[in-house]
Amino acid sequence: MTVTLLARPDQSAPAAPEARTARPWWWCAASLTAAGTAGAALLVAANRAAEWDRGTQFGLFWLGMLVFTLPAVCWAVHRSTGPRLRVAVLAGYAGFTFLPKLLRNPFGPLYHDEFAHWRQSKQILLDGRLFEQNPIVKVVGDFPGLHSTVASVSALTGVSVWHAALLVLAAAHVLVVLGVTVLADEIWQDGRVAAVAAVIYSLNSSFLFFDTQFGYESLAIALLVWTLVALHRAMRGPARRSRAGWAAVTVMLSGATIATHHLTALALIAVMIIICLVVTVRAVRRGTPVAVPLTAWALTLAAAALVVAWLALVAPRTAGYLDPYLARALDQFAGMAGDGGGGGRTLFRASSTPWWERAAAFAAQGLAAIAMVAAALRLRRGHGAEPVARSGALAMLVLGSCYFPAALLILTPSGAEGARRSWAFSYLGIALVVAPLVVALLDRAARRAGRAVTAGLLLGACTVVLVGNTTAGMNPSYRFPGPPVFGSDTRSSIPEVRAASAWLRATQGRELRIVADRYSGLIFGSYGGQNPVTGSVTFPTYDLYLTQPGQPAPRRLIEQLDAWRFGYLVVDKRMAREVPEIQIYFETNEPIPHDGRPAFTLGQLTKFDSTPWTIKIYDSGNIAIYRFDFERVAR
Amino acid sequence: MTTPRLLVVAYAALLVLALGRGVPLASPVLLLVVLLALGELWLRALAAESMPALARLGLATVAGLVSLPFTAIGLHAAGVRIHEESIAAGLAGLLAAVAVVVLLRERAGRVAGDPRLARTAAAVAVPGLLTLVVGVAAVRVYDALPHPPEPGYTSLALNGWAGDVAGPVRIPAGGLMLPIRVSSAGEPEAVEPLRVRVGDRLVSARPLRVSADTTRAVEVYVPSPPDGCLHRIEVSLGATSTVLYGRGAETGRGGASGRGARAC
Repeated sequence: MTVTLLARPDQSAPAAPEARTARPWWWCAASLTAAGTAGAALLVAANRAAEWDRGTQFGLFWLGMLVFTLPAVCWAVHRSTGPRLRVAVLAGYAGFTFLPKLLRNPFGPLYHDEFAHWRQSKQILLDGRLFEQNPIVKVVGDFPGLHSTVASVSALTGVSVWHAALLVLAAAHVLVVLGVTVLADEIWQDGRVAAVAAVIYSLNSSFLFFDTQFGYESLAIALLVWTLVALHRAMRGPARRSRAGWAAVTVMLSGATIATHHLTALALIAVMIIICLVVTVRAVRRGTPVAVPLTAWALTLAAAALVVAWLALVAPRTAGYLDPYLARALDQFAGMAGDGGGGGRTLFRASSTPWWERAAAFAAQGLAAIAMVAAALRLRRGHGAEPVARSGALAMLVLGSCYFPAALLILTPSGAEGARRSWAFSYLGIALVVAPLVVALLDRAARRAGRAVTAGLLLGACTVVLVGNTTAGMNPSYRFPGPPVFGSDTRSSIPEVRAASAWLRATQGRELRIVADRYSGLIFGSYGGQNPVTGSVTFPTYDLYLTQPGQPAPRRLIEQLDAWRFGYLVVDKRMAREVPEIQIYFETNEPIPHDGRPAFTLGQLTKFDSTPWTIKIYDSGNIAIYRFDFERVAR
Repeated sequence: MTTPRLLVVAYAALLVLALGRGVPLASPVLLLVVLLALGELWLRALAAESMPALARLGLATVAGLVSLPFTAIGLHAAGVRIHEESIAAGLAGLLAAVAVVVLLRERAGRVAGDPRLARTAAAVAVPGLLTLVVGVAAVRVYDALPHPPEPGYTSLALNGWAGDVAGPVRIPAGGLMLPIRVSSAGEPEAVEPLRVRVGDRLVSARPLRVSADTTRAVEVYVPSPPDGCLHRIEVSLGATSTVLYGRGAETGRGGASGRGARAC
């Protein structure tokens, strides 16, 4: 009986009257359309400044972002804005924040993982099969959620795979913003707080670029947010039938999440466990209805069972793929603690970001910490009395607190990637807990001038956090176009490499097993349709390149290559002239020194011109392609 | 909208989509209609209750969207090749299955329609459309503006039968014509020295005009090596080169692979 009281009155009254908007909607639409157009023009100008190397791209970019986002946030948070207009503003905000990534590479894949997903989607359309192994990111094929969606959209509509991907990614981006809004509304039952939560979530380091890329997390994060919405509704369900219905929606969406992305599925389970623990503790201490923790645990166990089953039966390679990153990160962290800093990485080393972006990156962490402490104190005072809502808020406080320990991992080379990815999840907690604090601060000032000052300060803080988090989360070469840079995932794809991959595909066919470096591998594995290997501890193909001229190639490696029918070797001679921008030649943990000088001599890379077991079939100056003739190795 | 009407709309959109595939602008909109209808049916089948309009719209969109991978995985599990027709058929089957559940549930009474839903959908669609227009315009403008030239290159490759060479080539006594492919992109016209070396010996050298942004096939003469031993044959054009290995006419009994050739 008590459970029935948990139902929100507005949910059962669909035609409840809405607050009227004091300002006309057309004024909002016109002003934001004008601001959006100006913002887009400035983003274009920023990209042009970057590609012509004028050095003004950072300022133009942020000016373009703020020209739209600041007034949009004002409209979304203003007290007089009606609920529908608020939704419209947030939808526009989500759409506009997709623009930076859209303008970065509107016509094809550019980021590392995008090549893998693009290839995987094309492969589905070519071969009609799922779960094919991907040579660029090994486990991508085991999580077909995104690329099967993209391939289906492309097949049904006739648009290209890339355009289908853009449609799906734009939809997912809007769904994330609206999902956070709905989730915040579930917890706080206040449209303004919900809007602020969506805006705060959009300040996370992955929002503008990483989670808008053609990568599985971009879709999976939207699924995670909406799964949490369904979970909350299941916990709050007024009757068994209602809870069962929402439980089914929760299980369905958590199933879709695990079919889309491993880390997001694991994060979802972690968030669900946090929620379970909080509601259980509160049920024990406060005597809240037992149906709430029971529902939460049942759904968490169901989702966990799905995740475990998928990882064990469909994607057993995932643990082996993820484990080294975590293990090495912890080793490096221990090394930093033990040897006074050895094994760590220097933030913004050799980065071209301006000083104010770097300063903002550090300030953003401080502001987040201050906001979380203030939000925790406010929560302690008992704001938000409804049991499920309060449990949700406390769970989000715990989730948001996970942001700070993860930030320490950014100091280790192996942990940095994981830390960045975790922020998209933990920031959800920060957003949902800090949002009511922001609204309370706005409402606190009695006078109009005071409110304006408070709003200005809060907007300023948000700007610093947005700039800082984005800077911490993405290299400039990912954010902006520019002159070719060797050893950058995004800028080393020069026409010469693409031409070489096109030639190999045209003359020798696709799905050939080739040995390559990281950057050639991206192009040959995606545009070229080949199966490149770029080396690993168990298959150290980089030893081929490292062998000194006149020395025999490692026999065991040659036998492996021969046994596994590797046919071609790609050599990028830039490895002997330049240092890779991201400090990787082949793979993250390669045994190759990175001391600011090229790790290879030209002799090491051109020795294949004189080894009888390599036939040089193509050369374009930087790129050479050799065909293996393993019969000649022993002679 | 009643469930039968929703079904009619979804099937009509799916039919048009399946028959008139590839119609610019219309196809994505039709697919959106199908997915939204399917998502709404999922909600009616599973969580048959009223909810805030934005939550309903978002959940319907998400449920419709995840129907695509569910369909693809189902097709894969059934051993059906994934392509346009099979996906459309799979979606049609899924629509029917979910609709049956909805109709069975609705026998006990259906949830009243929410008049806010259409207006909330418009509140999302209109800014979405405006952003799309602004975004497409920005991309077009950006694309139309001049960009810095990308670095050019000249490539040299073994061509024709030579491109398939997998081991040492047996070169007849009279030598052979080796086909090569010369390609240039993004570089001005130039004259480069085309050289052939057999072992350490330069056997021919001549200038070759490489026109800008062209690809051409060229043949170079490779004389027979002096003996049946393995000889390195290099064809170079400026700084680029191709390398293969060959044996002279004396290795006739040994075949192209050179097996059985006398010790060198």
